[in-house]
Amino acid sequence: MTSNASPNGLLSKSWAWLASSVVNSQSFSGYFEPLTQMLVPQWRADRIRSKITTVRHESADMYSLVIKPGKTFNDFLAGQYIELTVMKDGAWVSRFFSISSSPAYYRQTGLIEVSIRVQEKGRITPWLAKALKKGSIVNLTQAKGEFVLPNNTNDMLMIAGGSGITPLRSMLQQLTSSANQNKRLVTLMFYARSSEHFLFEKELKAMQADFSWLTVDFIDSDAVGFFTEAHLIQACPTASQRDLYICGPSPMITSVRNTLKEAGFNKDQIHYEFFGPEPMENANTGSANILFSKSNKQISVNEDNQQTLLDLAETENTNPVSGCRMGVCHQCICQKKSGVVFNQKTQQYSDTGHQEIQLCISVPVGDVVLDL
Amino acid sequence: MTNTFTARPDSATLDQFAAELNQVREQTMSKVGAPDAKYIRNVIRVQRTCEVLGRITIPLGFFNPLLWILGVVFLSLSKILNNMEIGHNVMHGQYDWMNDPNINSRNFDWDNAGDSNSWKRYHNHEHHTYTNVIGKDRDFGYGLLRLSNDTRWKPKNIWQFFTYLTLATFFEFGIAYHEVAGERIFMGKRRKKSDLPISRDQLKSDFFGKIGRQFFKDYVFWPLLCFPAFLYVLTGNLAANLIRNLWTNTIIFCGHFTEDIHTFKMSDCENETQGQWFYRQILGSSNLEGRRWFHILSGHLSCQVEHHLYPDVPAMHYPEMAKQVEAICNKYGVPYNTGSFPKQLFTVWKRIVRHSFPDSKPAKVANA
Repeated sequence: MTSNASPNGLLSKSWAWLASSVVNSQSFSGYFEPLTQMLVPQWRADRIRSKITTVRHESADMYSLVIKPGKTFNDFLAGQYIELTVMKDGAWVSRFFSISSSPAYYRQTGLIEVSIRVQEKGRITPWLAKALKKGSIVNLTQAKGEFVLPNNTNDMLMIAGGSGITPLRSMLQQLTSSANQNKRLVTLMFYARSSEHFLFEKELKAMQADFSWLTVDFIDSDAVGFFTEAHLIQACPTASQRDLYICGPSPMITSVRNTLKEAGFNKDQIHYEFFGPEPMENANTGSANILFSKSNKQISVNEDNQQTLLDLAETENTNPVSGCRMGVCHQCICQKKSGVVFNQKTQQYSDTGHQEIQLCISVPVGDVVLDL
Repeated sequence: MTNTFTARPDSATLDQFAAELNQVREQTMSKVGAPDAKYIRNVIRVQRTCEVLGRITIPLGFFNPLLWILGVVFLSLSKILNNMEIGHNVMHGQYDWMNDPNINSRNFDWDNAGDSNSWKRYHNHEHHTYTNVIGKDRDFGYGLLRLSNDTRWKPKNIWQFFTYLTLATFFEFGIAYHEVAGERIFMGKRRKKSDLPISRDQLKSDFFGKIGRQFFKDYVFWPLLCFPAFLYVLTGNLAANLIRNLWTNTIIFCGHFTEDIHTFKMSDCENETQGQWFYRQILGSSNLEGRRWFHILSGHLSCQVEHHLYPDVPAMHYPEMAKQVEAICNKYGVPYNTGSFPKQLFTVWKRIVRHSFPDSKPAKVANA
């Protein structure tokens, strides 16, 4: 989101009122947006228009986008993510991605990188790799996120699962940059299935060779199984004195957190980020959580749930607007922030990113976050 | 006045009828994409350009009155496009799939005195679900006009043609008042059970807030900004609003109040199947034939039948769909009401005049 950094809140409020009165729009730039887009294609008043410089294939199912962010892009912290928006068949589609390169690299070159795993059944990630080329336009938000390289000198243990390496790569790149006289000890436990490629393997090995404070363990989870306390003791005996950074698919994070809790780790030293879109397969693993973000309420439903989101929202008293309850009147339209829903009218599954949905004909498939 | 279902095909036939109509929808929806996004953005571009030109040209009437007229034409065009092809269709959610922050049913606000949220609440739900159901679809006569013999004649109906002209002149305010269920909110005609999702106070503040902002824009802000031409701007804006009001009123009246339109009882729509619902929507709507520019200026409400069958399909597809829908209707013997604009308008006037007077036949039992 664009920051509302106006020194005078009242002034920006009056300005918005004037726009809503004089041009019936949320902002003057929004009013002129379709005209501006004639001169500057795909320009968005609320986004940072940026250019792709390279699409780099990292492995069979991973690729990185090298992006030159527009001038209004602020600096960021290693580990943060951006929302990337592109135009597909006339519609804007958005996805969140961690920045996989460092702030130091951005200061040097003016470039950032995001590294993307192709979701086999996904609509966007396979398409993006083909659709974007050098010079393509993407729209970014400012970087966001609390999962960042700490501003201290504590030793660190990083635990990555699969493509969860991306924000950790940003942190490591930052720590190894010449500007950063790092002395702290850092260990990376990098889990991936043997069929997968260890992303950035060469680069990580080179870092390890160059910096004595860094240890990288590539762990084949097909061979030795998933994270256990025994792995931890073997890879990093001093883990209990370190700050822990965990990133990977959500089941992995949950499992690692539980193991650490049982091993007596302090909650404050564990940092984690649920990475990327929820995998679609998750839909079949039992219950789904519906989070109503504005009213801060949550409800859990089991996998054979057939209730619509409107019914669920009403049981939770989140005050949804409702109308015909048959998908005609569009009054119950609500922004879905993330997750997949099934549309009973069109018999189609939604995209995972944010979009407007009709609550009365949408059934959640897996976890869903609603702006309600 | 037809208000019976005597000719209604049986429900099995109507199920087939519905299946064919749904197929038309699916075929069209599979084509919706980049060309639609391009189209609506282009219409918005034309509208914005007209508005800017209008705002600039009207005050120049200070130097040459012809420029004032030109400015009024631009501004009227802007307001008509904004309300009809853009506002009405965007607020039906036809372009929600574009995920655009400014072109979606939740955020769009139109250049009209009616508060867009209140309008969506009433129009998209009650009018579109209960089209021409006497006592439920308040758009049928707007609580001011007697348009069928379903309602009892009152002496005030004698001068209802003038009521109609007055309504057309102030149409945007009529809509604003009507769509917040003004008579319920302000006159204390309360229903026992309120099914309104928001409070009366909120409705009132939305109502006055929107009218206030529109008034400020057209009659305070722009006239003062062009101060020496104050009166030119004030009257120019007034004229543009008037032209828009007359146009939108005329188009909308032609959609539901033409000669062969059917009316319904509440009991007609209980436990309706989709086929019966489609059937009722078709019988309650009428189309206008015309050229492409006419369809665009009417917001494609010229294809009222298709709009009522497929309210959230991007409207630029309606003329194409109309051919298929008419063919399906002919196949099933369902009356399809269409005609030229002058012809349909004439029958609307005829209807208003005819029901100004008591019925010559013994009054039928009311359909309440």
